[in-house]
Amino acid sequence: MRVVIAEDDAVSRRILETLLRKWGYEVTTTLDGGAAWNALQESSVPTLAILDIMMPGMDGLELCRRVRQLPGSIPPYIILLTANHGVREIVKGIEAGADDYLTKPYDHDELRVRVQVGARMIALQAKLAEHVQELETALGEVKQLQGILPICSYCKKVRDDSNYWQNVESYISDHSHAEFSHGICPSCYETTVRPQLESILKSPSAE
Amino acid sequence: MSFDHIANNKRTRTDPFPFDPAATTRDDVLDLASLKAFEELQSDDGSDLIIELIDLYLVDAPQQILAIRKAVAITQWEVLRRAAHNLKGSSSTLGVNQVAVICEELEATNSSDSSEVVEALVQVLDYKFAKARQALTTERQRRLS
Repeated sequence: MRVVIAEDDAVSRRILETLLRKWGYEVTTTLDGGAAWNALQESSVPTLAILDIMMPGMDGLELCRRVRQLPGSIPPYIILLTANHGVREIVKGIEAGADDYLTKPYDHDELRVRVQVGARMIALQAKLAEHVQELETALGEVKQLQGILPICSYCKKVRDDSNYWQNVESYISDHSHAEFSHGICPSCYETTVRPQLESILKSPSAE
Repeated sequence: MSFDHIANNKRTRTDPFPFDPAATTRDDVLDLASLKAFEELQSDDGSDLIIELIDLYLVDAPQQILAIRKAVAITQWEVLRRAAHNLKGSSSTLGVNQVAVICEELEATNSSDSSEVVEALVQVLDYKFAKARQALTTERQRRLS
């Protein structure tokens, strides 16, 4: 998984890079909010971001707000990592769009498990996005049976997209997963079948 | 002006002052346990990450302190807060705790604080950083040998 770091402090940046690479993540390092914004916009794979708040140019909070406006089915998971302590700072960070918040100095194991949570969330979102895609594909097929279908008033054949008049049964079979089992409804039995049977029975050849 | 006097002046904002500003022992200036936490991250190529971190800090911290001093001279509180914040982060990460505490005080500075107190805090910062640099350099030499 790719992790984008935005950290202007050289010491913190070096430690973060080392930790994340040791844990097996692909790391992209940036030194300020603007560069991190570019990296997150250009990212074509699910991404986790670890952002400092106080940075030159665009700060971490503004970066969070912008990232939350990005289109895409799998939004980046954002962890704010900052020397700003206190509940109010945490609230501001989460309200700006961060998913998690950790203060410096931090315990390495704590960061590791919080990054794991982020990776798990991204994996879940990827799976969800995949299912949504499958559903949309299925819905696309179902849609073919929606809308206006031209049907002959007499023979009940349906005109398909190729301008071909097709039996209603084969049309529905082709455009859905439905199958037909044939029978006779009571009404048709009374109005059609029974008279035909009686006619046959009364005919001279039946005797 | 004594460090105690400075500490007393700042007590209106952080009471009690979190450390004895006159303390200059090596352990107080640098928490070696914080540095040792990075030993697990040593690379296989033989380079020492802790030495690298000390070097990065000793290059960056004087620049931040210079930025702080300039910001105080022209009462640019936002610039002061940003530089103090940066130095606080790296200092607390490496266990340079007293520098981190002074930076936290400076980060909380605003226009209502007297310039005398702020300037005195910068002096304490200079003093504490000099002690920290000494301790870090000693640790660096120890690791090299």
